[in-house]
Amino acid sequence: MKKIISKILAGVVIMAAAACTKIDNYDGPNASLQGNILSSEGGNLQTSGGSTQIWMQQIGWTSPQTIPSKFDGTYQDTKLFKSSYKVVPTGGAFWPVTDTTVVNISQGTKHDFTVTPYIVIKNFQSSLTGTTLTLTFDIDAPIAAGLPTIKDVQPYVNTTSLVGSGASIRDYSDLNSKPINKNFTDMVAADKSITLTVPNLLPGRTFFVRVGVRLADSYNSSNFSEIVRVDVPNN
Amino acid sequence: MKSLKKSIIAITVGITALATSCQKLDIPPKNIFTPDVIFDSEAGVKSLLATIYRNLPIEDFKYRPDGGDDANYNGIQTQHPGFNPGNPWMNFYTSASVIGEEVGPFGGFEIGGGFGYWPYADIRNVNILIDELPKHTAKLTQATVNTILGEAHFLRAYYYFGLAKRYGGVPIIKVPQDPGAPLSELQVHRDKEEAVWDFISAELDLGYQMLPESSEAGRANKYVAAALKSRAMLYAGSVAKYGSVNFVSGPALSQGFVGVPVGKANTYFQAAYDAAKLLEGHYSLYNDNPDKVQNFTDLFLKPNSEQIFIKQYSIASNTAHSWDATMSPRYMTANALSRAYPTLDLVELWGQLPVTNGDGTPRRFNDRTELMQGLEPRLLATVYFPGTTLRGLTFDMQRGIYPSFTGTAAAEVAKQPNSRSYVLAGDTKTLYQGKQIIGFTGPWTGGDELTRTGFYVRKYVDYNKPQATVDLYKSEQPWIDLRYGEILLNRAEAAMELGNTGDAFDCIKKIRERAGATPYTSIDIDKVRKERRMELAFENQYYWDLKRWRTADVVLDRAHFRGLMPYYVFNENKYIFLAEPELFNREYTFQKQSYYEPIPGGEINKNPNLLPNNPGY
Repeated sequence: MKKIISKILAGVVIMAAAACTKIDNYDGPNASLQGNILSSEGGNLQTSGGSTQIWMQQIGWTSPQTIPSKFDGTYQDTKLFKSSYKVVPTGGAFWPVTDTTVVNISQGTKHDFTVTPYIVIKNFQSSLTGTTLTLTFDIDAPIAAGLPTIKDVQPYVNTTSLVGSGASIRDYSDLNSKPINKNFTDMVAADKSITLTVPNLLPGRTFFVRVGVRLADSYNSSNFSEIVRVDVPNN
Repeated sequence: MKSLKKSIIAITVGITALATSCQKLDIPPKNIFTPDVIFDSEAGVKSLLATIYRNLPIEDFKYRPDGGDDANYNGIQTQHPGFNPGNPWMNFYTSASVIGEEVGPFGGFEIGGGFGYWPYADIRNVNILIDELPKHTAKLTQATVNTILGEAHFLRAYYYFGLAKRYGGVPIIKVPQDPGAPLSELQVHRDKEEAVWDFISAELDLGYQMLPESSEAGRANKYVAAALKSRAMLYAGSVAKYGSVNFVSGPALSQGFVGVPVGKANTYFQAAYDAAKLLEGHYSLYNDNPDKVQNFTDLFLKPNSEQIFIKQYSIASNTAHSWDATMSPRYMTANALSRAYPTLDLVELWGQLPVTNGDGTPRRFNDRTELMQGLEPRLLATVYFPGTTLRGLTFDMQRGIYPSFTGTAAAEVAKQPNSRSYVLAGDTKTLYQGKQIIGFTGPWTGGDELTRTGFYVRKYVDYNKPQATVDLYKSEQPWIDLRYGEILLNRAEAAMELGNTGDAFDCIKKIRERAGATPYTSIDIDKVRKERRMELAFENQYYWDLKRWRTADVVLDRAHFRGLMPYYVFNENKYIFLAEPELFNREYTFQKQSYYEPIPGGEINKNPNLLPNNPGY
């Protein structure tokens, strides 16, 4: 019995010694890229889910990948392979960036992009009367000539601070949109000062609110305001 | 003695073996077909044609616009999901149910990325056919070779049309490539979208010239080629005209791999018009039955003079489909379930239904069938309304019961569900004061298998089939891929785009007469398009129409669709109908990049010359 056990043990030792002499000597995806998408008008570009993203393609590889932007206009991906990449911000409501930059991505690489937004939302103010929220804001275009048609403006209301297109309560948001369907250059001053109302908010709840201006560009993308918190008091 | 016997046997066997063996070493391989076997007889060519026809991208009952499950035959994955998906019984996965004709199994517009359709293996089969046939004129005769060549050009155009409408420009490959050729020759560049449409046009012209006047059902003749040309050229013209206004920019666009110069629009519209006109006098609208509802129903179920190109199915060959079992509720079938239901938005293309009085209160009906009075026969033949019958059973649509009802329809529908005074139920057995609350055929939200809109599809449903035989893979009615009704609509639209309103008016007049619709007194492009939607509902056309008109991103912009919910008002003993959001409550948004599908990633890895990919991908 002892003999058999020792034989088995010997066998295990030999096999263990002989096995695994090769290890995977390739680096894992340990490189990272992070940064800001800056607006040419100052600050970060305000974005939302399913809009702005960083399109990137590893040099020598055919399939592109994307890093979605966070709502505050920052982005980060920490599981990239170390290499050179062509990168370009895309999908959001800003003038298309046509020249792709090449970035050498290794651990902790930072890269900021500057884009020119289609529309800038200024003087965004909210006021609550009873359960009706009134939102006022002005719109301006850094570059007016050739701007895509403005489709509509609308509030975005959600119960969390992640609020934007695809992350909002439809009855408060999409259903309160206001069609515009005009070119910016055809809008008079009064058209550019906009008021939106959100009636019948539930009392005693906290909402996060922003407004967006949607354009008929390649992505039907929107420029967004910053996010404000609205506490609806109990009756 | 024994050993001697053995030796004799051994020697005999040895000599016999030697004598018969190794007569010839250089014999034709037995495990593959050489060109002679296939191309020296018409039967051989027909067997190859059968494969090519079978794989054509015909968007029939079984077509899954999302690709569907992987098809797996004897352990071999098929290369074309979509047209030949796994679990091919699920015929409710229609393209109609992502664009608002129906609501159903898709959670929204989730098929914009396509399913990687890439039929170059099939195109290679056609290319081999075209390459080989002229070498076999001695055995096949020149006439036969010419006819089959015409057929091959038609088939090649059909495949390229399937590619062009999805991807725009793709490599045009006209000869069978040699697998041993250098990689640089095999990795063919994309051609421009315009070049692909021109190629399709030229191929169909060859088909028209070389094919005979008539053909057996399911195969091409010269008019089938002309009919397809009218469809394809209308697509090309629309891309040129509307794609130059509504587009996603990117390198593929600026290099012409997607998009067609706007100047080509009228050339293509003219080609569509001329091709459609070639069919005049050779096919006609089916109009045999003076009962207009019955006539339009039978158009899809009986062989007739309107059918130009059909795809056939049979139980015996294991190709039957399941339209009947998956378009009607289980209540009326022997098995399976339904999951895609016509929307009120589709039904109201024919005009608003008279369900509301002038003061906004819901109109009271003694019987649900009263709703159908005065409606256009074509509508009634397209959609099953509450109160109609199928296989001896009534479409018993009832969403619930109102013990009493006051106020307007609009006010009631705007209320939150929990503040509405209706009585709903979880199943058909539940009663309210002895009265069944929900109908046997829905609407109901407890499962997918009863209508969520108050309607069921009627088009193509075989009403003659006894209920016991309405099962999976038991439906054999052919799919009509091209019918004269569509050709007249293609012609009307092309005419309208060319400014020939007179001809457009005449074509639409014929369509509306047959449909039993009230005649128009004038015509415009919106009327032509609306007529197309009504006539061709559920025929997998509107999905592509929305794309080529470049209106999908407007029509499907966070779109919600509606149903028509019948309720029984208990204290009045009457029925009312309320137009409400359909009960799946789905939202549909079309991203502009989806006007073209992405070139499949796997193909780009094999051939980087397919880059740049389409804009937005």
